[in-house]
Amino acid sequence: MDHFPTNWGRPRNDYQDAYGTYPIHQRPRNPSTDAFSDAVKRTQQPIVTGTSVLGIKYKDGIMLAADNLASYGSLARFKDIQRLHAAGESTVIAASGDMSDFQYIQQLLEELMIEEFTEQDGHALGPAEIHEYLSQVLYARRSKINPLWNSLIVGGFKDGKKFLSYVDLLGTTYSASTIATGYGAYIAQPLLRKAVEGYEDVLTEEQALKIMEDNLRVLFYRDARSLNKFQIATITADGVRISEARQLDTSWSFAEGIRGYGAQTQ
Amino acid sequence: MLDMHSVPQQQPQGRQFNPYTENGGTILAIAGADFSVIAGDTRQSEGYSIQTRYAPKVFRLTDKAVLAVNGFAADGNMFVKKVRQRLEWYRHAHAKDMPIRAIARLIQTMLYARRFFPYYVYNILGGIEEDGTGAVYSFDPVGSYERETCRAAGAAQSLVQPFLDNQIYFKNQTPAAGTSFPSHLPLSTVLSLVIDSFTSATERHIEVGDGLEMYVVLARESTALQGVEGIGGVQEITMTEEGHRVFVIRRELKKD
Amino acid sequence: MSIMEYNGGSVVAMVGKDCVAIASDLRLGNQALGISSNFQKIFPVTDRIYVGLPGLATDLSTLRERFRFRVNMYTIKEEREIEPETFARLVSSTLYEHRFGPYFIEPVIAGLSKTPSGGVEPFIAATDLIGCLNFAKDFVVAGTASAKIFGVAEGLWEPNLEPEDLFETISQTLMNAVDRDAFSGWGCMVHVITKDRVITRTLKARMD
Repeated sequence: MDHFPTNWGRPRNDYQDAYGTYPIHQRPRNPSTDAFSDAVKRTQQPIVTGTSVLGIKYKDGIMLAADNLASYGSLARFKDIQRLHAAGESTVIAASGDMSDFQYIQQLLEELMIEEFTEQDGHALGPAEIHEYLSQVLYARRSKINPLWNSLIVGGFKDGKKFLSYVDLLGTTYSASTIATGYGAYIAQPLLRKAVEGYEDVLTEEQALKIMEDNLRVLFYRDARSLNKFQIATITADGVRISEARQLDTSWSFAEGIRGYGAQTQ
Repeated sequence: MLDMHSVPQQQPQGRQFNPYTENGGTILAIAGADFSVIAGDTRQSEGYSIQTRYAPKVFRLTDKAVLAVNGFAADGNMFVKKVRQRLEWYRHAHAKDMPIRAIARLIQTMLYARRFFPYYVYNILGGIEEDGTGAVYSFDPVGSYERETCRAAGAAQSLVQPFLDNQIYFKNQTPAAGTSFPSHLPLSTVLSLVIDSFTSATERHIEVGDGLEMYVVLARESTALQGVEGIGGVQEITMTEEGHRVFVIRRELKKD
Repeated sequence: MSIMEYNGGSVVAMVGKDCVAIASDLRLGNQALGISSNFQKIFPVTDRIYVGLPGLATDLSTLRERFRFRVNMYTIKEEREIEPETFARLVSSTLYEHRFGPYFIEPVIAGLSKTPSGGVEPFIAATDLIGCLNFAKDFVVAGTASAKIFGVAEGLWEPNLEPEDLFETISQTLMNAVDRDAFSGWGCMVHVITKDRVITRTLKARMD
């Protein structure tokens, strides 16, 4: 997957703007073919974006991780944004991509949960249902050529079963024991697979947390749109827990020895 | 000096939202005299990234029809969902499963209904015809279809189809004097060919691999199952008592 | 449209037990229009080396002459016959000389090299159009039907085939592959190179 949210869903075009370097406000507008199209606004590009989110299975359930940054192009605009959203008693959504679209999705889910609650039929929406709902919403929006510009990870634990699935702006879905979006799909996913695959029922919460922190650290070192402040969500038999924002401890001493990176002595 | 008025307004550049992507993988179906094998690998990818090693592309529709979908995964899943919904309505209206010939026509209609915003999906439908013969129907994304004996589709179609021409249709082969080639092969041979096709495709195509799912639809009276005891991991998933029988065989493929 | 598909055509080479085989189709096209059904793409280099040159037909003629010249110069200077691997290096460097304005040919080389003990060892290789060598132990392919040949070859080929079995394998591989390729076909030609002779056969194939 393309690690620049701005490019998501667009045809790959390396001839112009190979690295997505246009400042957002200068970015060429798409032509309007419809005389009345001014009246309709569509998300043709994400504006305020969140970078990678991570999700893994571990012994007790699912762990999700996301940093607290919402970027405006290359500007680190909002540094205290929560990108993990609890939906009901057994599900958490982790979102990358457009943050306004994500907040709209949160709103949809709130309304859905209230609607379901008022039924009082003894059924609660679990992670599988929420993932199905989101995939239908995102697919329907892509089919209207008016996408919700996100890559979401849905994590949950219900009836003793772990649930970890992905859905994106195209409506593409899949499940796996490790999932990473955005830059994380390239940098974190291989590391996550090595650490998690085959150990889904063995890893303790401490070990899972260590894996997540290590990966967020690697992402912070290499992904320019990331932040060293993050939150962790766990979904287990005990329910949903989303941590307070934490700081990553990072080490930059290696920079000393690199000319042009650390402080210059000459 | 640059005359600002002669410079055309900043041209719209070709960066529009693209509602499609390709998710790799390959599917394949072969019809026997009284059975049908429908297979697909289980890798789902986008670009050079493997998204998951297990995303099924082959789906049981009824006890006599199995559908394999390949192309854009989101469209594929939605299409299968809609086909299943139509089959359920049919069941409620007619108190029986839709015949495969009718499912094939239904799929054509559903695909063509989206002629100007197609499902970017190649479909292969396999199962048992009303006369008890094995059937394979293959479709293009906008609904052109035909009944065949075998068909490969997807990322490795170009690798697998000529191999099948040779091994199923005996193309470019001449029978020994006084003999003729069989028009349908036994189940054990068909399964071996399917496995060989996918291991070959896995070897030479990066989007194929991880796992193989082979569905076998068997006419109720068929004896084709004899002779395939050697193949392990056969799981029966027949739904009804009176219909035909459906089996699934899962195998590992290389994961690199 | 790609220049590599302008004239069409495909070549494949396979290793057998103390033998190698190389085969090609016989079509020359002008895009979708068939021009000739007797267009040779494989040429002898020495008694034990054959080279197949699928790609742009005009470059085929040029390269064939260029290789002939360079092999003759080698023979004169060295006063011995060129070995298959040496020839492959010659092909590679000839192509790489034109790195930024290449000949649109992807050569396939098949031959038997001499071992110190006086025996022969099968050799096959292929390069891309700028000379990146691929020494394979099983088979090499090139041309417009390459993906199809790969698919069939991967299914049919096995190690240590005797000359007659190798002939059947390479023939079936090529014919079934080119029958699914619009730019290849119109007849096939196969050479099986063994220690003491080269068996050349023209195959009766589909002509549509």
